[in-house]
Amino acid sequence: MIGYVLRRVAGALLVLFGLSVIVYALFYLAPRDPAVLTCGKGCTPERLAQVHAAMGLDESPVAQYGHFLQGLVAGRDFPAGPDVRHCPAPCLGYSFETDQPVTKLLADRLPVSASLAIGAEILSLAIGIGAGLLSGLRRFRFLDRVVNGLILAGYAVPVFLIGLFLLLLFCVRLQWLPFPQYVPLTTDPLAWAQNLLLPWTALAVIQSAGYARLTRAGVQQTLAEDYVRTARAYGLPERRIIRSRALRGALVPLVTLTAIDLAAIMASAVLTETMFGLPGVGQLLVGAVNQIDLPVVVGVTLLTGFLVVVANAIADLLYAAIDPRVQIR
Amino acid sequence: MRRTLPITFALTLLAGALAACQGGGNETSTAAFDPATCQGGTLPVLNQSGITHLDPARLYTSGGGNIPSLLFRTLTTRNRQAGEAGAKPAPDLATDLGTPSDGAKTWTYKLRSDIFFEDGSPITAGDVKYGIERSFAPELPGGAPYLRDWLTGAADYQGPYKQPEGITSIETPDDKTIIFKLSKPEGDFPYLATATQFAPVPKAKDKGADYEKHPVSSGPYMVESYEPKKTLNLVRNPHWSRTSDTLRYACPDRIEVTAGLDSAVINQRLQAGAGADANATTTDANVGPEQLAQLGNGGPLDKQVARGEFPSTTYLAFNTSKKPFDDERVRQALSYAINRTSVVNALGGSAVAGPSTTFLPPQKALGYTPYDYFPAGDAGNAAKAKELLAAAGQSNLSIELSHGNDDSEGIGPKVAAAVQDAFKQAGVTVTLNAIETATYRDVIGKPATQPALALSTWGADWPSGGPFLIPIFDGRQIITAGGNFNLAQYNDPAVNSEIDAINALTDPAAAQARWGALDAKLGKLALVIPLTHEKDVNLFGRNVKNAVPDGWRGQYDLSRVSVK
Repeated sequence: MIGYVLRRVAGALLVLFGLSVIVYALFYLAPRDPAVLTCGKGCTPERLAQVHAAMGLDESPVAQYGHFLQGLVAGRDFPAGPDVRHCPAPCLGYSFETDQPVTKLLADRLPVSASLAIGAEILSLAIGIGAGLLSGLRRFRFLDRVVNGLILAGYAVPVFLIGLFLLLLFCVRLQWLPFPQYVPLTTDPLAWAQNLLLPWTALAVIQSAGYARLTRAGVQQTLAEDYVRTARAYGLPERRIIRSRALRGALVPLVTLTAIDLAAIMASAVLTETMFGLPGVGQLLVGAVNQIDLPVVVGVTLLTGFLVVVANAIADLLYAAIDPRVQIR
Repeated sequence: MRRTLPITFALTLLAGALAACQGGGNETSTAAFDPATCQGGTLPVLNQSGITHLDPARLYTSGGGNIPSLLFRTLTTRNRQAGEAGAKPAPDLATDLGTPSDGAKTWTYKLRSDIFFEDGSPITAGDVKYGIERSFAPELPGGAPYLRDWLTGAADYQGPYKQPEGITSIETPDDKTIIFKLSKPEGDFPYLATATQFAPVPKAKDKGADYEKHPVSSGPYMVESYEPKKTLNLVRNPHWSRTSDTLRYACPDRIEVTAGLDSAVINQRLQAGAGADANATTTDANVGPEQLAQLGNGGPLDKQVARGEFPSTTYLAFNTSKKPFDDERVRQALSYAINRTSVVNALGGSAVAGPSTTFLPPQKALGYTPYDYFPAGDAGNAAKAKELLAAAGQSNLSIELSHGNDDSEGIGPKVAAAVQDAFKQAGVTVTLNAIETATYRDVIGKPATQPALALSTWGADWPSGGPFLIPIFDGRQIITAGGNFNLAQYNDPAVNSEIDAINALTDPAAAQARWGALDAKLGKLALVIPLTHEKDVNLFGRNVKNAVPDGWRGQYDLSRVSVK
């Protein structure tokens, strides 16, 4: 078990290191200069050179990457006018665009994205597994068709269309809900849930489709297995067969997909975030890419990589818990 | 916002589907607006992009900006009048618009005695000088570049952190007097003094790059909380007084700016006006097609719209140092061929853009003088264009047109396609070259990478002919290393000396006539093809009063609206 954990941690660090190198390399291969955007309209070449130096871009890419690694491990000092700003480890630097510490930007926005992702996943799983079971058990052929049709329809509609429809229906037409704005869970749990209800629903409409299809396929496949026939032959009640055999078999692929989706929503639900005015990580990333904001792009990439690695590790542990054939060594 | 396109489209569809079931809005009160009794309430501001830097040194604004002007008083400011009367500066921290001497090379300002920072300490000339010096620091980039060029010996100054001795060409003989020594006559100095770089900064409170976390207010509001690109909450500054500042009415008790919203959602919220949205405003969301369709027919939305014009021109820029645009006949032919109606439509229709045949936009303050030397009519004069091209020996002309890769700034693929189509009628084959919008100005502003033909826009930093014509046509402004705006690569000593002569004028009316005449003279050369001028259409919530667009910026002014 300890060996397993060590191997996973080493693998994760290697992945994150590789990611940061790739992002840095891509940044310096692209013919774009962030100092031009920072310096603004009518910036003279002399001024641009000064701004370049102030942003630390006058050093070689390798030296800059070295400083970045140093900041990550030991922290860094940044000159900033009359004072020197100290950025403690793990320091991801300051945003080129807004001059804010990248760690603070991520810490500010992660709760928003996590709220969005976790709520949307719970809703998606509830709808997806429920619908998948209903149609997978083939109790009612008609219901199977209806559920399948609805699921496909949900899957096919883009999120901004669903989002706008929900906004127009519930906020403009019926006025049951205010236009969403993020309220932290710790400030007011009720307002938090109320404001996130529409974005959760919009994402769940799309996500649950995939889960339902997986559940349906898994349930059907498991029910055809020999051990289910055996269980039936032994006279086990059907309810128990479904709960501890069929569902269990269907859950394995679902766990993987959920883990990846969770990480994906946290980092890249930019359309949903913009539509519902949620200042999440996805918005941060898109803005940073447009503004050639290297420290933020690297920060978000590392965060995303980290989340994916962690989610996968948790998924692997859950496998072992769900499927007795899987063993962690 | 790159994602606006599909979202806008979808919203149009859905709004149409749901419009049938919508009820009418509340009636707006028609009682006369009284600034003495307008106080109270909370004003929400719903915006797309937030303020990236709330530091007066780093803000690049026209006339001090909308939101920044709530916090920062400057030596002068825009007078906030509606229409053409609004294109003039007015004294703010200073007692008047400044006293020129030495042929407009020296400008002297006296400060008011009743001006205070938010902590109650009096604002001194030294604070104004320090604020300007900060804007030279490379740690605080982004502000307007003019002072580096105008102030004597300031081009190499690197800000008070590296050079604490300061700029010698700004003198403060006493706490209430500030004198600027310029390297050349600048009659427009009172206009430039509206920029946020002229806001006072107390040296003791300066934290360099972190100053923007809580910039010290001199205006009617101060920062309660600020998260860049997310939220900005403003509350009343107890040391600001109505008697010392009659231009800003400062009606709401509280202003809450939310950024990061989609423009389609902003307009939808302003129109629906649910709850607090009935009091809401925006400073950066232009009205979308779904609302435009409901405007102008006497419906409820017509009471929630402000229509103004920010002086700005969209144009085609020739690089006259490159073939075939070194040939005046080719430039003239293309000027005849252009179809301005299709360009206006590509920009969103006649409500948001109007056709321009002059480089100066149609504001009197800029010296607008009508001319149309190459009449293209509404749909282009392809016959005349073909004739000129044949005379130039360019009957099978193929050219490349560079443009931005998104439509948000009006120089994107839609306008480029309209131009391509018009030129095709005249037998000219146009290939399109899309350049990423974020770096577009950088690419076309470096002569080494500048394309031969590019879509461009120019807006006035203040309403005068100078900031409109000088960067574009003054041959001494051609910068080879980058940041060049003289895309024509045009350098005529006679034009340069006329520019100097007009700059020395301190009477705006006299300058206007000369700028207009200069524009008309340059227009004959077909160095650019003017396409359109900008029109601004902004919505506001149904309870918002006095949302009158000012003549300087074309938008309603937050310092004057009321939600009471």
